[in-house]
Amino acid sequence: MILKIENLHKIYPNGTHALQGIDLTLNEGEFLVVIGLSGSGKSTLLRCVNRLIEPTSGKVLFDGQDVTHVHGAELRELKKKIGMVFQQFNLIKRRSVLLNVISGKLGSLGTLESLTETFSQDVIDEAMECLRTVGIEEKAGIRADALSGGQQQRVAIARSLMQRPKLLLADEPVASLDPATSNSIMQYFEKINKEMGTTIICNLHFLSLVRRYATRVVALKQGNLIYEGKPEDIDEKWFKTIYGDEAEEVEIR
Amino acid sequence: MSASLPHEIIKKQKAKEFRINQLRAISLDIFFIFYSILVVHRTILNRFLFENKNLPFTWGDTAIIAVISIVAGTAWALSGTSLSCKLFGIAKDNKTTKWTVEIFGWFLFNITFISGWIVTKISIVDLFSPDGLAGAGRIFGALFTPNMEIFDEALFAIIETIYIALIATIVSIPVTLIFSFLAARNLMEDSKTGLVVYNVLRVILNFTRSIEPLIWAIIFSVWIGIGPYAGMLSLLIHTIASNAKLYSEAIESIEPGPVEAITATGANKFQVIWYAVVPQIVLPFLSFTIYRWDINVRMATIIGLVGGGGIGTMLIQYQGLARWHEVGLIVIMIAIVVWVMDFISAKIRAAIY
Repeated sequence: MILKIENLHKIYPNGTHALQGIDLTLNEGEFLVVIGLSGSGKSTLLRCVNRLIEPTSGKVLFDGQDVTHVHGAELRELKKKIGMVFQQFNLIKRRSVLLNVISGKLGSLGTLESLTETFSQDVIDEAMECLRTVGIEEKAGIRADALSGGQQQRVAIARSLMQRPKLLLADEPVASLDPATSNSIMQYFEKINKEMGTTIICNLHFLSLVRRYATRVVALKQGNLIYEGKPEDIDEKWFKTIYGDEAEEVEIR
Repeated sequence: MSASLPHEIIKKQKAKEFRINQLRAISLDIFFIFYSILVVHRTILNRFLFENKNLPFTWGDTAIIAVISIVAGTAWALSGTSLSCKLFGIAKDNKTTKWTVEIFGWFLFNITFISGWIVTKISIVDLFSPDGLAGAGRIFGALFTPNMEIFDEALFAIIETIYIALIATIVSIPVTLIFSFLAARNLMEDSKTGLVVYNVLRVILNFTRSIEPLIWAIIFSVWIGIGPYAGMLSLLIHTIASNAKLYSEAIESIEPGPVEAITATGANKFQVIWYAVVPQIVLPFLSFTIYRWDINVRMATIIGLVGGGGIGTMLIQYQGLARWHEVGLIVIMIAIVVWVMDFISAKIRAAIY
């Protein structure tokens, strides 16, 4: 068991009750997909795990350690162990692909070393290796904003791999990509999950992708966990419960 | 027990927000009423209708008006039907609110406009009096027939002005950089010490900025004597204060995504700033600084009028002697330099982006 979440609540300063008592456990090697409408609390849940957000109440246990309210150096140690990939890629646009990948390692590099940007050959080799994993090592010298959306997301994945994460969080990683690119990005996640044994939590919208890649699915609705099970067990009835009666499933191939 | 906790938190937050808004509404309503009574009483009634131009100021009258407005404002805001309640979103949704808000809003606008008109002493007659028109014609005529004899002198003076502006801008950069990071809310808000530094610095910067360079020039010309150095220092102080604000606002409006991503890798504060913040603000900073040089050239001219050196000092000397042909040349040269600076800085800024 790598992650255990107990009765997790998050209330934002504006009064939004984004998570209303989530219980969830995650075993090593799982590929967990979280589905639900926009605003259902998916992103908040992920950010409570790597503590970009501090939960209001409840508990988050990562690797047996209570990380709910850690701060300072302890919090940075936690973040080092958890990689994260975002919908908007969130690369440093004006810098090279290689520097973007190396930035994933900042937690382990000294402050002076990183501010002067003098990296050892080992670090550079490691970054190139991560770029090879996602198949774009030839783009290392190019500015990140010169790449296409799919390529930028691959750089973002390489950046998270630099952390050698035990857990990889992906917040709607394919929501701003076209269907074909979406599938190829999901294949990289699958590869990381199967070959490196990295545990993955991924927020997704498209059920066809969920069925293809998830080993387990949970569904959130208005901050509550309303479904937990195998991806193939989500039938028409569950789908309407999760997405509302008006919803119809859209296929993506 | 912990299950009921989140709902209590929400309830507490809402109650607190309502109380704060109510306090704001009360203060604002008190101000509105105080302002209305004061304006109607002193300007419209006494100055205009009774033509009582020199109404003495007395603390007694002011205190009476203050007491009336505190009582009326508090009662009005607590009733939940006042203009301020509407502004802060805590008004009751009924007819009374709608009518009071509309009527009082119009009332405030009208008394402000009418008293503004009275105070400004607007007069069409003065603008077109024959004597006045003749004087204006003389000066305009002289301005368009400049005296070229002082061209060399004016050229040196205007170069001095440009250098004053340039040095003030360059020297301001390092200080401004440090201040701008400390005055950016998104970088300082995670710790209590950070918030204290942020708030103190903001107050100091706002205060410094609210004192015009002209006033700073007067202070420095007394402090270190009339001349270009005093002018440069006054520009420097004002440049730091206003650019630190502009820079820090640029930092506050960066894309939060990269900051989130770099933070999520376990990087420390300095690393996050260097990797996720700095690349996003280099260009805006450069652009602001060049634009500021342009502004400073214009300001340096004005500062010269009160002893800050350069072309402004020369202008005020000839103006004092009523030598309008010389003034004409100086004004034309200032116009050309300002136009050229404006053009160059716009071109550079366009090229950067």
